Amino acid sequence: MSLKDRLSRLVGDAATTGEAKADPRQATMRELRDRIDTLMRRRERIIPPNTPRASRDAVPLGVAVAGEEVRTPHGKFFMSRTILNADDVYGYRRVRDFACPSMPAAAFLTGHQAFTDMSIKDGLFLDTETTGLSGGTGTFPFLIGLGWFEEDSFITCQLFARDFSEEGAVLRYLSEMASGKEFLVTFNGKAYDINLLTTRFILNRSHDMLAGMPHIDLLHPSRRIFAHRLENARLSTIESHILGVRREGDVPGFEIPQRYFDWLRQNDGMFLKDVFEHNRLDIISMASLLKYLTDLVENSIEMENYHHGDLLKLALFLHERGDVERSLRMFESLIMSPLPDVATGARRPLSIIYKKMRRWDDAVKLWLTLAHADQHDIFAIEELAKFYEHQTRELEKAVEIVRGLLENRGHLNEIHCTSLEYRYKRLLYKASLKEK
Amino acid sequence: MARVSLSEWLARAENDRRFRENATAIRYIDASDGSFAPYPQWVNPLLQEVLTDRGITKLYSHQARAIEFVHQGRDIVLVTPTASGKTLCYNIPVLQRIIEEPETRAIYLFPTKALANDQMTEVHGLIRELKANIKTFTYDGDTPDDARQAIRKQGNVVVTNPDMLHAGILPHHTKWQKLFSNLKYVVVDELHTYRGVFGSHVTNVFRRLKRICRFYGQDPIFICCSATVANPKEHAENLLEKDIVLIDESGAPRSAKTFILYNPPVVNRELGIRQSAMTPARNMMNDLIGNRIQTIAFTTSRLNVEVLTKYLKDMFRGRIPDDHYVTGYRGGYLPNLRREIEKGLREKSIMGVVSTNALELGIDIGDLEACIMVGYPGTIASTWQQAGRAGRRTGESLAVLIAKSNPMDQFIVENPDYFFARSPEYCRVNPDNLLILLHHIKSAAFELPFEEGEMFGKEDLMELLAYLEEKGVLHRVDQRWHWAAENYPADEVSLRTISTENVVVVDTTDTGSHRVIAEVDWESAFTTLHDGAIYMMESQQYHVDLLDLERKKAYVKKVDVDYYTDAMNYTNVKVIDDFDKKIKNDIIIEHGEVQVTRKVVGYKKIKFYTSENVGYGDVDLPQRDMHTTSYWFTLPWDLLNALQLTRLDIVDGLAGLTYCLHHISAMLLMSDIRDVDWCIGDKSGEWYVRPGNNRRVITTSPTKPVSVMDNAYDPTVFIFDAYPGGIGFSENLFDRHDELIKAVRSVIASCPCEHGCPMCVGPLLEVGPSAKHSALKILDMMMGP
Ligand SMILES: [Zn+2]
Repeated sequence: MSLKDRLSRLVGDAATTGEAKADPRQATMRELRDRIDTLMRRRERIIPPNTPRASRDAVPLGVAVAGEEVRTPHGKFFMSRTILNADDVYGYRRVRDFACPSMPAAAFLTGHQAFTDMSIKDGLFLDTETTGLSGGTGTFPFLIGLGWFEEDSFITCQLFARDFSEEGAVLRYLSEMASGKEFLVTFNGKAYDINLLTTRFILNRSHDMLAGMPHIDLLHPSRRIFAHRLENARLSTIESHILGVRREGDVPGFEIPQRYFDWLRQNDGMFLKDVFEHNRLDIISMASLLKYLTDLVENSIEMENYHHGDLLKLALFLHERGDVERSLRMFESLIMSPLPDVATGARRPLSIIYKKMRRWDDAVKLWLTLAHADQHDIFAIEELAKFYEHQTRELEKAVEIVRGLLENRGHLNEIHCTSLEYRYKRLLYKASLKEK
Repeated sequence: MARVSLSEWLARAENDRRFRENATAIRYIDASDGSFAPYPQWVNPLLQEVLTDRGITKLYSHQARAIEFVHQGRDIVLVTPTASGKTLCYNIPVLQRIIEEPETRAIYLFPTKALANDQMTEVHGLIRELKANIKTFTYDGDTPDDARQAIRKQGNVVVTNPDMLHAGILPHHTKWQKLFSNLKYVVVDELHTYRGVFGSHVTNVFRRLKRICRFYGQDPIFICCSATVANPKEHAENLLEKDIVLIDESGAPRSAKTFILYNPPVVNRELGIRQSAMTPARNMMNDLIGNRIQTIAFTTSRLNVEVLTKYLKDMFRGRIPDDHYVTGYRGGYLPNLRREIEKGLREKSIMGVVSTNALELGIDIGDLEACIMVGYPGTIASTWQQAGRAGRRTGESLAVLIAKSNPMDQFIVENPDYFFARSPEYCRVNPDNLLILLHHIKSAAFELPFEEGEMFGKEDLMELLAYLEEKGVLHRVDQRWHWAAENYPADEVSLRTISTENVVVVDTTDTGSHRVIAEVDWESAFTTLHDGAIYMMESQQYHVDLLDLERKKAYVKKVDVDYYTDAMNYTNVKVIDDFDKKIKNDIIIEHGEVQVTRKVVGYKKIKFYTSENVGYGDVDLPQRDMHTTSYWFTLPWDLLNALQLTRLDIVDGLAGLTYCLHHISAMLLMSDIRDVDWCIGDKSGEWYVRPGNNRRVITTSPTKPVSVMDNAYDPTVFIFDAYPGGIGFSENLFDRHDELIKAVRSVIASCPCEHGCPMCVGPLLEVGPSAKHSALKILDMMMGP
């Protein structure tokens, strides 16, 4: 009897092994996907003309996607190259508008001074499409999208392994491209894309160019700066809310691995058309996003062009990075914001900077403003109490201000109450000593 | 009253008539001086100095042989008793190599986390004293994420378990490039625990490990340690698929030990009820501890740890001011408390400790004087490991095994020669079980693409790869098979459990907030969570309102009733293919492949204490089919008819015999009782025995009960592997048929009950009053003149 027959007998009809029971779950997943698809289509009223259909004849890859086969000494693969001209519009901007991000600003964002002296022309934007998200050696990056600026144009170049055997050639080509550049720009590449490519270089026993390159990962600063007003910090979310990019008929990320598997089995280029486009737009969006972020840093004092909440988050981010000078200037502008949350949010860290600089008058002014605006502002009241106690040694004032807050304790949580009561008792004791 | 020493205590016990009557064996194991050897020339002087400072001025002979073989590049398996210094056998070669080549890496594999932690302490100590820059890390499920990267890159010695290797390390081998590129040693401790289903998985994990090592150009040496089993070399070679050198002569000195097998007295001869094993355990512990003889007790369940500890604490309350004079110790206690107890034992402030087998495996608790085992630990190997906790270097020690009321325990204490002679326990694995193999082929393909002509296991790899390609998880290009699916195959199967699916028990007593109270494995759910079942947890009863197999949930409500439920199962076996056959006294003995069908058809309600049947219920659950391997024997009617028993008596006799055979088979196989199952029927699957409402019935189909047997079919007893595809137990049972039948005969014949009891043929109410008598007659017939 063949192994196959033996296996199907073992796992039988009502068998209880993982193998057999994984199927209903996969079926549920498929069903879910179908349902999500249907919902998405209904809402957007857009049925992409290139949606693959089973009943159609397979379309050659070169017809579905503009590109051609590349032959190298290490093998062949498929490559698609596009150029965005300086005057092309992408979201709210033209390409020329995001062709020149400030590199000193990028250095501020990443905390690596080395970027200051680099040129954006030497940056390589990179994003991969893979066969799964679980990570591990069995995840295959079948499409590696690259992008860079040439003068005011933006070039994208997508390296595609038509099957597993083309990976070696793709990786060598990628290494060559990378060796002509100085640094990488990704979105979550530190945790994902570059890690994965490192694994692939090891598996293909070839030298890993990328792991050692300077790297601007846009995910971290984007999350810090935009997360307060977005439902998540995904590139697609940032792109539509911040960069004004509307994608039509985009392939959802979770569908991409299956598209590749379908392509492997059916060799129909239509499965991949949307995947190439998805990847290409991701790369362009990264370029636009880099410019947006560096502009924010560069023009951080010009409040009219940016969301004040973003500026506040940026200021806090820079403050954490130890860039006191720049964050001080930003906070000083932000306390003037008409948005009360932003103004209040800026007053607190600013007061701490003043306090550290021993600019007491400025600090006290901020605390008083905060306490005036909100009589339960425990931060301001504690700071004031400390100030009266230790700096001016006006114990009575300190006692009074703490008592005032304790009498209105309804808004305070237990920990705050305990700490305030402790402070209050200590102040009373100190005051009584002084009287004696 | 003056205190007595251990030898005085023993002398007194032996003179006590009642004690003597219940002790089925008292064996004295003489002390031996041990044999020693100097450090080999090549051992690094610094390492030698550190060991000498620890009082190890020379090596035991087995240690010297072991490290010499490893030095020569041989793979070894070391079989020596507890506390014979086996850890040096791997620590010396590993540390030596790291001192010589600082990039050297080693993996230490332990079956449990507790054991891994213990070994870490030891190797850390050596490294500290060496003042060398050698890094050792534990890598398991508890390792924090931020520590993982450092461990991957820097750890010279990575201590982990097979589960982590399987799901956490091998599928990410590129992150461990540094480890695999420099891997010189793999230490596998407690090798004998890798048997059955678990061992079959682990063999495949080793196949994958060796495959990854080859990719990085390494061929590490395996250093294995095992407890005493019958086939250590064979088992190591099966598990690692390499030639292995066996080292099984211990050079460690041994202290004198008295080993007693104790069977509690019969208290009800008619029902064959013996005194609970807890009673003599409690009395002996009390007496020994009262005489300041430091004692450890092992019980087979967590509950019994708590019960025995409570008894003892009550006894010593008021007599001794320190509440920790006797204490429990088991998994579930917090690490700090455990460390405190271990310290108390070493410093002798704790004189008595009651434990599950958590302590069995090597945590340093110093030299205790006495060890009481309440119930047979399941294997002779672990019985000796537990007994080894007493008397490491002290003058004299005592080990007592107290039998519980089940056939396995009874067999052991009633057959001292079986226990004390050369180990009869064989470790078995079947790594080429198709389901297990296939799973690991998937994981291996995820790790590295398979190449044309590659070998993995003993089946035709190319055919299996083609099967997976057809299933769509692999994709073939240019004679290479690549992983082509989104999932992470190592997560699909756990190495330890038979089925990956669990049923969740949801308490709906409070309609407002449903609460998950337990998880039950898929197989057990059919018999314990069917609609109408009473599910018991922590002494609380729950009524099962609904078992939803599709959603894998059972909805229960708290109840307080005076009965429990017992599912009525039928099992039907049909022979597909017989691999081998022999005839003995006209009995046909075979093994081969079978189809097993199981179905729960109903349940009985049984009253507490009186065990009366107070009702029945029907259950409608799907039947489960499985192909597996089985051993069976067929008894021709001509022979049975000559016994002058009624047909029903014959069925009862066969049922009683099979009950006992099932237990004894599990014992010989070193397996859990649930890993093998049984059935009485005929080879065609036309009829089989199943429990009816009052008595067992013979039927021709699940729906039409017929209580007669057809002469055309000869009764057959099956013992089969309860795992699809089989684990290799059946052939072993087939080979040992005579031994099995002799053991079964001995257990039933020597049982003091009159008509049958749980210690021999099973509970009287279930097997019928003639079971014992008939079983003996059938067995005599089988054994021949
Ligand atoms: Zn009995």
